Amino acid sequence: MPIIQRFLTRFFIRFGLITFMLLALGPVIWAVVTSLLPLSSLTSHPIDLNPANVTVENYILVFASSRGLVSGLINSLIIATFTSAVGLVIGSMAAYALARLNMPNSSRILMMILATQMFPGIVIVIPLFLVMSRTGLVDTHFGLIIVYLSFILPIVIWILKGFFESVPMELERAAAVDGASPFQTFRYIVLPISLPPLFATGVFAFIEAWNEFFFAIILTRIHVKTASIAIAEFSGQYQTLYGQMLASAVLASIPVVALAIIFRRFILEGFVEGAIKA
Amino acid sequence: MQTTNEYNRKRYRLGLWFVAPAVFVLLIVLAYPIFASLVLSFLRVRFAGQGLSFEFNGLNNYADLLRKDLFREALFRSVYYTVIEVVSVIVLALLVALMLNHPLGRSAFYRVVLLVPWALAPVANAVLWKWIYNANYGILNQALRGLGAIEENIIWLGKPWLALNMILVADIWKAVPFIALLILAGLQNIPSYLYKAARLDGANAWQQFVHITLPGIKTTFVISIVLQSIWALKVFDLIYVLTKGSPADSTVLLNYLSWRETFSNLDIGYGAAIANVLFALMLMLALVYIRALRPRQPQAQGG
Repeated sequence: MPIIQRFLTRFFIRFGLITFMLLALGPVIWAVVTSLLPLSSLTSHPIDLNPANVTVENYILVFASSRGLVSGLINSLIIATFTSAVGLVIGSMAAYALARLNMPNSSRILMMILATQMFPGIVIVIPLFLVMSRTGLVDTHFGLIIVYLSFILPIVIWILKGFFESVPMELERAAAVDGASPFQTFRYIVLPISLPPLFATGVFAFIEAWNEFFFAIILTRIHVKTASIAIAEFSGQYQTLYGQMLASAVLASIPVVALAIIFRRFILEGFVEGAIKA
Repeated sequence: MQTTNEYNRKRYRLGLWFVAPAVFVLLIVLAYPIFASLVLSFLRVRFAGQGLSFEFNGLNNYADLLRKDLFREALFRSVYYTVIEVVSVIVLALLVALMLNHPLGRSAFYRVVLLVPWALAPVANAVLWKWIYNANYGILNQALRGLGAIEENIIWLGKPWLALNMILVADIWKAVPFIALLILAGLQNIPSYLYKAARLDGANAWQQFVHITLPGIKTTFVISIVLQSIWALKVFDLIYVLTKGSPADSTVLLNYLSWRETFSNLDIGYGAAIANVLFALMLMLALVYIRALRPRQPQAQGG
């Protein structure tokens, strides 16, 4: 019987894999397809999927209209770029100190940093909102970037600390023997060989900052609305313009999904494994 | 060549300079607000002209919590939501991970498939499901009618428990991939000689699963459960886009309630009290995570 059993197992796994693929990609493909159809096709019964109707008019309309998607995408780009850049600079220094510079209790500090990941945003955003409205930081890029550092910094420190620990100690000892100061060792030995993980961590931080919604809805008003806010408002105000609603969702997702696929090796090996290894 | 002592002192001093900026930022955006939020929850905050007035309110905000039905309902629904989400996500993610760990599912393509729902902007995800659930034109109603499963269109987001469960489905769909990747990483860390040895001893597939696979991913399991509970307790985007808490406040969960009390009803002290309840729940979960991650005693290497 083992042959039949083997056949059945393989059959069920193939079947399961196909089901999984359909469930995972189906909704996304459906969104892309319907974003390419005119409203008249979407609202006919049943939905008219005739490929002859395919059009980019929804995309043209969301770009042309003054519904804030374009400025939203620009704001998201600015905020995500600066958040990941500042997060990388400050975070890599702290990560190196915790990994290699004999900081006292560094393992306890690290646990605290990790625990900060788990604070609900609502706890910190109420007082921050009060302070920021008094100091005029609500609805500014700077204000949102600073707040985003609260969840970006801990991730950056956590990932990079793991990487710096894997840099061979001998390299740093050799530099010290040659008379390099600790700072020179970091700047000229450790940083150059860390560029790939630094870049990949930056990409990860970028995705997280780009996708953030909760802080943005509270801390922005008019000028720095992010793409996520623009989409949420759009879906609230013009909820019958289905095609345009989906087109803006697709537009806001393309950059992050593309980044995730391009840098999948890092996300799979660096971040996912990092989460389960102390 | 420098003396070791002097060199170590230099390293220590550099270390202090290196952690200072990060500590400074985290003090401002994390430590201060957490402390201030605790203080706020004991105050009554009022809008007075241009500014705010604060007056001591004792434990009244917390007493209000106990008195108000909506808080109790939101707490209950949050717990329900979290339990269902965690159980569903873990079971589905384990299934997916086991399939992708099988020789038939090793292709890198499947891992790319997993990354798509994960990377999708949460608001885009919410909009996507709003369209799928649309009562008149949504694909869900059309498909079910096509199959003859229903005769009338169902208003998926229009009935109390149904709406909450539909939000759950959208959330589970987005959450499974990351947990599946975590469990997959855990599965791949199980040394293959354990399976070989078990097969030699005549263990069948089920016995291998129970005695090798499950113990091997125990830590990953605990971490997945904790992380997923924390994320489920924080749900906001989906509620905001899909229902705004309707119908009849039946999809108001703790995080959404706290936001609404604070920023719509401007009852800042009360909102902060709800936030702190949520915080306490998550802190307990975070402690479990830290315990699960605590480095184990180094085991003596057999030799």
